[in-house]
Amino acid sequence: MFEISYLKAKSLSDAAALIGAHPEAKLLAGGMTLIPTLKQRLARPSHLVDIGGLPELSGIELKAGRLAIGAAAKHYEVAASAVVKKAIPALAYLASRIGDPQVRNRGTLGGSVANNDPAADYPSAVLALNATIVTTKREIAAEDFLQGMFATALEEGEIIVRVLFNVPKRAAYEKFPHPASGYAMAGVFVAETAAGVRVAVTGAAPGVFRWNDAETVLTKNMKPAALDGLAVDPNDMNEDIHATRAYRANLVKVMAKRAVQKLLATK
Amino acid sequence: MSDTHTASRREDLRLITGRGRYASDWNLPGQLHAAFLRSDRAHAEIVSVNAAPALERPGVVAVFTGADAIAAGYTRFPLMANFTNRKGASLLKPERPVLAHGKVRFVGEAVALVVAESALAAHDALDAIEIEYRELSASVHVDDALASSASQLHVDVPGNLSLEWEAGDDAAVAKAFEQAAHVTRIKIGTTRVVASPMEPRSYVVSYDAAAASYDVYTSAQGISLLREQIATLTGVPAEKLRLHLRDVGGSFGQRSGVYPEHAALMIATKKLGRPVKWVSTRSEGFLSDAHGRAIQMSGELALDHDGRFLAARYEFTCDMGAYLTPGGPSGHLRNVAKCMTGVYRTPALYGAWKVVFTNAAPISAYRGAGRPDIAYVVERLVDKAASELKIDRAELRRRNFIPLDAFPYKSPTGGVYELSDFAGCLDKALPAADWAGFERRREAARKAGKLRGIGLAVVIEGTGAGQYPQDQVALEFDAQGKLSIYTTTLSGGQGHETTFAAVVAQTLGVAPEAVTLRESVLGKEIIGNNTGGSRALVATGSVCKLAAQKLIERARPLAAEALELEPSQLEYGEGAFRSRDCEKVIGLLDLAQKHISKNPHPLNLIAEGAFGSTFPNGCHIAEVEIDPDTGVTEIVSYVAVDDCGNVINHSIVEGQVHGGVTQGAGQVFGEHAVYDRDSGQLLTGSFSDYYMPRAGLIREIHLSEHPVPSKLNVLGAKGVGESGCTASLPTLANATMDALRPLGIQDLDMPFTPSKVWHAIQAAKVK
Repeated sequence: MFEISYLKAKSLSDAAALIGAHPEAKLLAGGMTLIPTLKQRLARPSHLVDIGGLPELSGIELKAGRLAIGAAAKHYEVAASAVVKKAIPALAYLASRIGDPQVRNRGTLGGSVANNDPAADYPSAVLALNATIVTTKREIAAEDFLQGMFATALEEGEIIVRVLFNVPKRAAYEKFPHPASGYAMAGVFVAETAAGVRVAVTGAAPGVFRWNDAETVLTKNMKPAALDGLAVDPNDMNEDIHATRAYRANLVKVMAKRAVQKLLATK
Repeated sequence: MSDTHTASRREDLRLITGRGRYASDWNLPGQLHAAFLRSDRAHAEIVSVNAAPALERPGVVAVFTGADAIAAGYTRFPLMANFTNRKGASLLKPERPVLAHGKVRFVGEAVALVVAESALAAHDALDAIEIEYRELSASVHVDDALASSASQLHVDVPGNLSLEWEAGDDAAVAKAFEQAAHVTRIKIGTTRVVASPMEPRSYVVSYDAAAASYDVYTSAQGISLLREQIATLTGVPAEKLRLHLRDVGGSFGQRSGVYPEHAALMIATKKLGRPVKWVSTRSEGFLSDAHGRAIQMSGELALDHDGRFLAARYEFTCDMGAYLTPGGPSGHLRNVAKCMTGVYRTPALYGAWKVVFTNAAPISAYRGAGRPDIAYVVERLVDKAASELKIDRAELRRRNFIPLDAFPYKSPTGGVYELSDFAGCLDKALPAADWAGFERRREAARKAGKLRGIGLAVVIEGTGAGQYPQDQVALEFDAQGKLSIYTTTLSGGQGHETTFAAVVAQTLGVAPEAVTLRESVLGKEIIGNNTGGSRALVATGSVCKLAAQKLIERARPLAAEALELEPSQLEYGEGAFRSRDCEKVIGLLDLAQKHISKNPHPLNLIAEGAFGSTFPNGCHIAEVEIDPDTGVTEIVSYVAVDDCGNVINHSIVEGQVHGGVTQGAGQVFGEHAVYDRDSGQLLTGSFSDYYMPRAGLIREIHLSEHPVPSKLNVLGAKGVGESGCTASLPTLANATMDALRPLGIQDLDMPFTPSKVWHAIQAAKVK
């Protein structure tokens, strides 16, 4: 790790001011991606502005058919929340499968969404549930917010405050964890909503994406077998020493079918 | 059976409550901090090194480079055993400057050492060192290194071949193959793995100019061997090297030898006159810790009409990495040759080795050190033969086991096995695993859409004979009259504090708490072997027993004096000397207490003994289920029947088997250090990419013991540190292959990753 100054923000406006005053500063919430990056000296921010404990970023509540989760909510809080479990059990389940217990007790929703790691779990739920990202400056729709590998619509100094998830009729998430890292090698979130079925895929490709063909067939026929004739294009998938493109494409379909199976089993 | 047989480990409370003291816990007054600049090229000439800009950085005190290593003469690493082939050629052992000089030969090789006032300052200065490289083509795979077009790593090693070696009788094997009714062939290999102990390497070294001596605070597998190896590498006399060793967070063989960083810090501390400390990062560990295994193997087995083994022939191409480590060749040559016949009476055997340099991290011993590798190829070959001949796998083995009346059995490649009951192990394991009922379970799994397989392996291994001809153990009473055992071993998690104390306490008939083990303590004038090769209990533990017996005899005249009797009138039992009529009694510890004012204490003693290789063996059976949709293999049951001879503490034996089996399972299903074949960069440089087995990989291991006490040591122990790993590699691979074989898949090799297994299933469907 390089030498870095640590600053603890007292409020959201204080955090914004600190970020504004130090152009090379980085926000720190759970730090589950940032700290390892720093330890490997792959990033060199001048300052870390800690927003992890800010009360303005906490809280989980259901309002007008939307589940609002504070950006600093830890994965464990989301996984264990009675409100989340009742409104969107698939989201609580997704949070329960992120990383390991240590990561779940440090890592935050806002951090995960802001980082938009192509193998992170949350972006699939954000996209499938057509969530709204509330920042210190505006509200951004999921599809506008998520802009590919590690890219988002966030501007300099803009901080995620909370995420508003639309409560679906039914939803399910299935994930195949990467054998080494535990990140999603393929994670598929299937949501049955008033506006139709949405299927979002994380981990398999350079960024989270909607599988439109699957959405079309599942809107007509919510059955695992409905996906039989479909396939994602292996050429669009990632490849590394752990998994080929073809294997990842297969995983997307297998996880999608399992998610549908699970969705059908929910009330 | 006494309660020490299952007693929980005495060291555990200390270790799991954070009171263990590890190498990086050492801090010396005035110490400086070191960071190593490591090569980011796999193979390159060093055109120039300019360290001056680093010296400008804040806090930097000095920078050392290859020129300093050459000036110190620190280039010749020791070799624990040399090998000479039948033409008289020996291992070619190129020089290895402790900081690279002239050339770098693998990614991660230490090129320069920055010493600064803080670790942060030292790390910060690394990128200021300017190095100009002229890149050469890199060979990270043995096939590439042996190709005629390969760049030569070392000027004095033509063709990157350190040695071609052989064992057994080539002509006899050739003749037997001519008469064979059937020949089975296999080409497989063990993957290169990173030992990844929990505790990273950490060294603090200081120099005493007046005494011309060095204090080395480090982690190791024992005091004697490391001290001797540092002495050999540096030319500093062993008595001028004071090693300070404490708790060790995992060794696995990787800590058995001297590393370049030990000697590089010696150069720095001598020059600077202040202690210098280095703590490896995990990333550095992946690059620069010695790796393990990495043997490409081909095997051929000749059988007659009845399925009896006539002969076997093997080829081993050993990837040693860029340099020979002190212990690397012994594992890959000696340990493999010793048990090349497996558990079978195969009349003719021949093995041919190629010891090859590649542009990768050097290979050293790793849990089993060649023993799991040979077991893997032999047991996979036997399984394949059974499949080809349509003979039950257990039956084919049984037909060829070395029978009980053939022991001691001299294998055609030199190993002399002590008595082992392979059929007995098999007979215990088969019902425990419900081998007979497997086809029903396979069918049930098939209906559920899963591929189920069962696999077994019967294995044997020769434990380490040791580097020193004998092991010494000291027993000493301190000023409070407390009894301590001193040995040259060092536990890396094996529970010696419990076991060795139990051996002494049981022999003396006193409570285990009355005895404390102190391992590898500086200043104890004893010599002996380190922990490794599954031999610590077998040999050092045996000497603990001899020492306790010697203590009783040493105490007898003092007891007689105290009781005013003749020594011959005394009986010893339950910790006390008694007159025959039991009228007069004095406890051993009370007797010791009476003499605590004497210095040295009259009961202090050193015992010694020479105990060679033993032969732990066993039969393991695993059952797996493969999800054909994802290629994931799940271990659904695991049965282990082990003969590790007499057992001192069953909990510790179980822990060793659990650890060994799981470490093997990790390798079978995913552990793999992968270098990019073109660039030579390590692609698995962190736990994000390097698979490690997790606790859930094997949920339950059904263990039973089948002890055939060793006659080669006074405890009757055979060793257990590595056997779990030796057995689990072939067992789990055979189970996985059994699940896949009905699809027509005959040849697949570790690691059985989900992606690889899924592709094999897809390819089989197309056929």
